[in-house]
Amino acid sequence: MIDDRVKTRTTVTPSKAGARNGLHGGSIPRLPRTAGIAAARNLRNLEIGSRKRALEIFRVEKCPARGGITISKGLAAAAFLCALPSPAFAMHISEGILPISWAVLWYAVALPFVAWGLRDLRRRSEETPWFKPLVGLVGAAVFLISCMPIPVPSAGTCSHPSGTGIAAILIGPGLTTVVASIALTLQALFLAHGGITTLGANIVSMGVAGAWVGWGVFTAARRLGLPWFAAAFLAGMFSDWATYATTSLELAAALHGDGSFTTMFSLILLAFVPTQLPLGILEGFLCAGVLKFIRNRRPELLRTVPAGGAA
Amino acid sequence: MFDLFSDIFTYRDNALTRIDPRVKLLIALAALIAVVTSARPVLPLAVFVLCLGTIAALRIPAKLVALRLAAPFSTVAILVVIQTFVTGTTPLFSLTLGGWTLTAKAEGLRQGLLLGARVLGALSIVLLLGIATPAHRIFQALRGFRISKEWVEIAILMYRYIFVLMDRAGDLAAAQRLRLGYTAPRRALASFTALAGATVVHSFEQAGRTHDAMRLRGYRGTMPFGPLPALGRRDRGLLALLLTVIAAAYGFFAWGITG
Repeated sequence: MIDDRVKTRTTVTPSKAGARNGLHGGSIPRLPRTAGIAAARNLRNLEIGSRKRALEIFRVEKCPARGGITISKGLAAAAFLCALPSPAFAMHISEGILPISWAVLWYAVALPFVAWGLRDLRRRSEETPWFKPLVGLVGAAVFLISCMPIPVPSAGTCSHPSGTGIAAILIGPGLTTVVASIALTLQALFLAHGGITTLGANIVSMGVAGAWVGWGVFTAARRLGLPWFAAAFLAGMFSDWATYATTSLELAAALHGDGSFTTMFSLILLAFVPTQLPLGILEGFLCAGVLKFIRNRRPELLRTVPAGGAA
Repeated sequence: MFDLFSDIFTYRDNALTRIDPRVKLLIALAALIAVVTSARPVLPLAVFVLCLGTIAALRIPAKLVALRLAAPFSTVAILVVIQTFVTGTTPLFSLTLGGWTLTAKAEGLRQGLLLGARVLGALSIVLLLGIATPAHRIFQALRGFRISKEWVEIAILMYRYIFVLMDRAGDLAAAQRLRLGYTAPRRALASFTALAGATVVHSFEQAGRTHDAMRLRGYRGTMPFGPLPALGRRDRGLLALLLTVIAAAYGFFAWGITG
């Protein structure tokens, strides 16, 4: 539906509202000096074949490498590494980082949540026959959103949202855990992002902590009478921060060795602050913006779809 | 980050892609355990070199491999630095930064380097697995290992529709860019949320259509997973051989057992 509108609007009188979100024309804005180059690059993108084109469009083209270094007394070196102009993938623990005992422990923690989510899926798909395709499709959408690069100006890098906040609002925390476990498996196998031995830990940080905190914050905020936009913003923000804090905890617990756990935890937490703090805020806006879009364009989806989310 | 799924290379015909996915999964798992539990960096580094050599022999673009390794490596670099300065007791050297003295310790550096070697080794194994096995065959093998039917079903649906939605979202993103939707930060955020929202709405709509199409093809709430064929003699032999090699290498390199 949206796509058709986009295609036809290219020749129709544009609207200001559309121009604001870039979906369609709008009154002609003042063009920046590089507009011609940008348009030429976009046209070039359109000429590339379909799957490759989509991949090309989502690729991190050039992150604004400002080289800005966050100066922190004890963390100068770590912060420097963190501010390197490369894509930031701080959310997932890489393959091989966790010792085997910790890897097994986090698997043991994650499994009951995944099993609970699968039970929920079974129950709800008995009630609604098209529930499995729905979860698969929403999972694919959330996976895609979580791969879209967001520039993080404070770190001079690009990062990506986790997407668990909006997923928890739409389909509930249990199913978000299932979807996150699949997304993390796909990322580990085909994007070398995360890992198989660290899958349990990543499910706990993203699929359990992120999903349950996002869902809990949204539900609590709505019960406290906050407007849905603010509730969604808080859910997105806290779900991102919960993921990041849990990841730091997992890393510190496994790697502190004979040193202090608290020191290691604080250092890891601080090392990722330049990326994750602003990213959490951006994720909050993303979460609220997506919910706003659905409420404006297809509000019936939130009412009629038996997703069981908090929305 | 979304450059190419590594399994795009699995459709080439070579010795690795012809091996049964269950065998590849078992070997990868054994190698991962060996690398992660290794007490010395020799085995992980040997595995890294071996896997990288195989990847090069399969003529996988070096740029893609470098891209895959770059991101985790930056995370490891941070952890190595933190470990060097936080853990251990034997001082190596000191740095004064902003009036604060930081002392690097030998044990921390050693531990950090071992960690780095493990990450490289483990990552190269998964990279090779992803390059040599298509997604649907991995899911089939997982079902063969009695992973939940529902989990595999959702995984297949997700994997299939990621590309459908990606095409659609790619068109939208291109349209937004042509209309200068990403020229200013605020505008970019609005465009980004509209893009994400449209993707979610489309996924809801597509779910109904997909279900209708599946029902017309006989879907009644569960995807049929046929039994996997028994492992061939060649695959069984290969599995036994490689598991023995991994165990021997583990004893020899990882713990220095020389008999």
